[in-house]
Amino acid sequence: MTLLEAEHVKAYYSIRNSYVKAVDDVSLSVDRGAILGLAGESGCGKSTLVNTLMMNIRPPLRLIDGTIVLDGIKISEMSRSKLKKDVWGILVSIVPQSALNALMPTKKIVDFVKDIFHYHTDMSRAEIVSMVRKRFEELNLSPEILHLYPHELSGGMKQRVVIAISTLLNPKLLIVDEPTSALDVSTQKQVIKLLVDLHRAKIIESMVFVTHDLAILRQIADKIAIMYAGKIVEVASTDDILYTPLHPYTRGLVNAVMTPESEVRKRGITFIAGEPPNLLNPPSGCRFHPRCPYAKPICKEVEPPIIEVRDDRIVACHLVESFM
Amino acid sequence: MIPPIVMDLIKIKKLIISLSIFLAIVLAGLIGPIVYPVNPVVMTGPIEQPPSSKYPLGTDRWGRDVLAQLLHGIRNSLSIGLTAAAISLAIGVTIGVVSGFKGGITENSLMLLTDVVYALPSILLMMLIAAYLEERNPFLVSIVIGVTSWPWVARAVRSQILSLKTREFIDMSRMAGLGDLRIMFEDLLPNMASYIFMAFVLLMSGAMIAEAGLSMIGLGVTRGISLGIILYWAQLLEAVRRALWWWFIPPGVCLVALATSLLLLSTALDEYFSPRLRGE
Amino acid sequence: MNPFVKFLSRRAGFLVLTFITFIFIIFLLPRAIPGNPLSTLLSQLFQRAQQNPELIKAVYRQLMEEFGIGKPLHVQFFEFISRTFTGDLGTSISAYPRKVADLVFSYLPWTLGLLIPATLTSWIIGNLLGALAAYKRKTIVDNALLPVFLTLSQTPYYWLAMILLFIFAVVFKVFPIGGAYTTGRIPALTLEFALDFLHHYTLPFLSITLSAMGGWAIGMRVMAIYELRADYVSYADSLGLPDSKILRYVFRNSMLPQITGLALNFGSILGGSLITEVVFSYPGTGFLIFTSLSRLDYPMIQGTFVLLISTLLLANFIVDIAYALIDPRIKTGYTGG
Repeated sequence: MTLLEAEHVKAYYSIRNSYVKAVDDVSLSVDRGAILGLAGESGCGKSTLVNTLMMNIRPPLRLIDGTIVLDGIKISEMSRSKLKKDVWGILVSIVPQSALNALMPTKKIVDFVKDIFHYHTDMSRAEIVSMVRKRFEELNLSPEILHLYPHELSGGMKQRVVIAISTLLNPKLLIVDEPTSALDVSTQKQVIKLLVDLHRAKIIESMVFVTHDLAILRQIADKIAIMYAGKIVEVASTDDILYTPLHPYTRGLVNAVMTPESEVRKRGITFIAGEPPNLLNPPSGCRFHPRCPYAKPICKEVEPPIIEVRDDRIVACHLVESFM
Repeated sequence: MIPPIVMDLIKIKKLIISLSIFLAIVLAGLIGPIVYPVNPVVMTGPIEQPPSSKYPLGTDRWGRDVLAQLLHGIRNSLSIGLTAAAISLAIGVTIGVVSGFKGGITENSLMLLTDVVYALPSILLMMLIAAYLEERNPFLVSIVIGVTSWPWVARAVRSQILSLKTREFIDMSRMAGLGDLRIMFEDLLPNMASYIFMAFVLLMSGAMIAEAGLSMIGLGVTRGISLGIILYWAQLLEAVRRALWWWFIPPGVCLVALATSLLLLSTALDEYFSPRLRGE
Repeated sequence: MNPFVKFLSRRAGFLVLTFITFIFIIFLLPRAIPGNPLSTLLSQLFQRAQQNPELIKAVYRQLMEEFGIGKPLHVQFFEFISRTFTGDLGTSISAYPRKVADLVFSYLPWTLGLLIPATLTSWIIGNLLGALAAYKRKTIVDNALLPVFLTLSQTPYYWLAMILLFIFAVVFKVFPIGGAYTTGRIPALTLEFALDFLHHYTLPFLSITLSAMGGWAIGMRVMAIYELRADYVSYADSLGLPDSKILRYVFRNSMLPQITGLALNFGSILGGSLITEVVFSYPGTGFLIFTSLSRLDYPMIQGTFVLLISTLLLANFIVDIAYALIDPRIKTGYTGG
């Protein structure tokens, strides 16, 4: 059973008569009850992709092609105002990358929450407050926090409050965009735990977790999709990705995680020589070929097809057979 | 070879428009009096003539040629603007750099001084000081404007310095044993050149408007001519009420065009140097 | 200490410091500038006093006394400060023996009556238009509004005043050419006088409002563009909060710095409006300064400035308090970040 099904999605930024192909012909699905990890180096289009998955698209970003079906609803054909009314915050929510500044700075948190609830439900103000207090308690967050301003919270606390707010209406799908990159290790753990708890308690059904850090995905993800330069290059179960990576790029990523140097781990893919390509004018053929240690002439000329090497495992590489 | 930065700048429409307006008026002020050699301060024709082929912008109450006054006025207003801006910039940059760089009690006292002067409106301070000057030549007026207009520059420069200070290259210079003065002049100021230039442009437009304001209330230069002085006489001799439009409209138009083109110039440069503002 | 009280006491301390600095400047100027018009005036008076009219002698003595000439400087300064704080601003020369404070107080309401409504109106309209331009960025609305804002912000108040006067009072004759009411009328609380007053009020009010508006609009536009890109906007958006509500958030947050701006720009608007009074022969303090200058009535000029600056600093202080009350970040002691 799939909760989210995206097919052949193209989302481009149009800048000065040309396109930045941030998401280029991506097909991806999220199973009900599953946690999907999305990994890739910064600038590969992961953030754009997850925002596109929930149709959170505004100029200069445009959906060029493709369909997105969420919980049986074809959201790729809905208007922005309809999405805001019926989908966002209810069926799908995002925990943004910049959660530290995501809260309205001059309102108490409770007032911000009231504004959101007030729009999506017809509860009274008192009902809203008592509901939210209850939810905060369930998540081991002191309800007193609600009566503070965002600047009175620590970074980790803000992050957890944002997660709690995003999941207030029990959305089916939660998208989490690099939630831990700005946090220290112990706070990271708390945040991850909170997300796992939400999933276990069935407050959220499925989750897409975006990161450049495979080590985190190893703890929580069922499946991992690897993105490179606007394209998905490999999707497989977490164990397969970590122990038998097929795509050369995935191998580079995995090697980077295995290295003992924390600096390399932190920056992820810098382990692979070369720079990520410019998406305004991506390389021909396989986009990874300029950096690929195994590249053959065909890689430069022909775009690799998506090959289903077995059930639930796809990879986009001409040379995949030689790696198996 | 044209350096690439020039090529980039040429592409900014705003910059080209503002620069052309500004340079056109500057040229009028510089070359105008040579091409149109009419004495602006003596009677050269009948009084209060509307524009004609003989007097392109008419004459004033004393039969003086308004166009000649305008050309000389532009020249003097510009030079007062330049001098005043240079004085403000010198004070503002010095205070900003020293306080941002030194920190501690130096910074606190300099910033307190800056805040105090900032809280007192510069135009009122100018009027007050000018009121006690019996002979006000253009240089003195520039000083009066200059010494009252610097506080915002000091604050802006200080915050720039504070952010530059944390950069790596400053640490390197320090480790290399360079003295404070050398770091200020060799590392900090060159990195702020574009910013300082923008501040100068804004100071200059402010100073020209301030000069006209002082003149209007009777505290401009006591001898000689400027855009403000033309307006002052036009006002005093009831040019508006008597519909002598050629007397008060051209100097105002020049003033607004000068000030607006300078403001536009600085925003265009600002957008170029801090791309964050360009925004896509 | 309560952060709010701390904020207030710091602002109050700063207010006093600024005021004393200003008094010091005003005290120092006639004494520090050699050959200034005041000494010329004194020696003229002294020479005329030889011819012995009692009045000039009295004026001369008064001036000597008020400027404390002959006493040590620090004594002069303390006398000056204590006199100022008790509201004694000296005696007018041109209207001897009337006290400066009384005269200035009779002119001040006209200035404030113009300045305060014009400033607030320009602030409100400027901010609304600036926010509109930011919201409609890169559309025809913004492209049309921005050049107008830019030009208005660089148009001197008094020149705009001359242009408005020329168009509406000279060419079309819809408004009077100057003054605050028809000459000969006695100010009274009648409808007839009120209409006459408003008729005279319109043009000066408009020229100050329009000139000040450009600056507010530009400031607001920049702030709002910045806020529109803030993370909290995209987050609220992604939670499905309606656009109208988000715009209210943005407006609220961009307004806050504009309140501080109100305090900072009061002074330059005052400066502009003083000169505008001259253009309209409007009987406010600007007109008073203008006429006092031509009569070398220094006690009067000095007193006018003292009162104007006091009013201004007080206004700034009030705005600061208002700001602290509105922005929750100050009440809870948040600084920067």
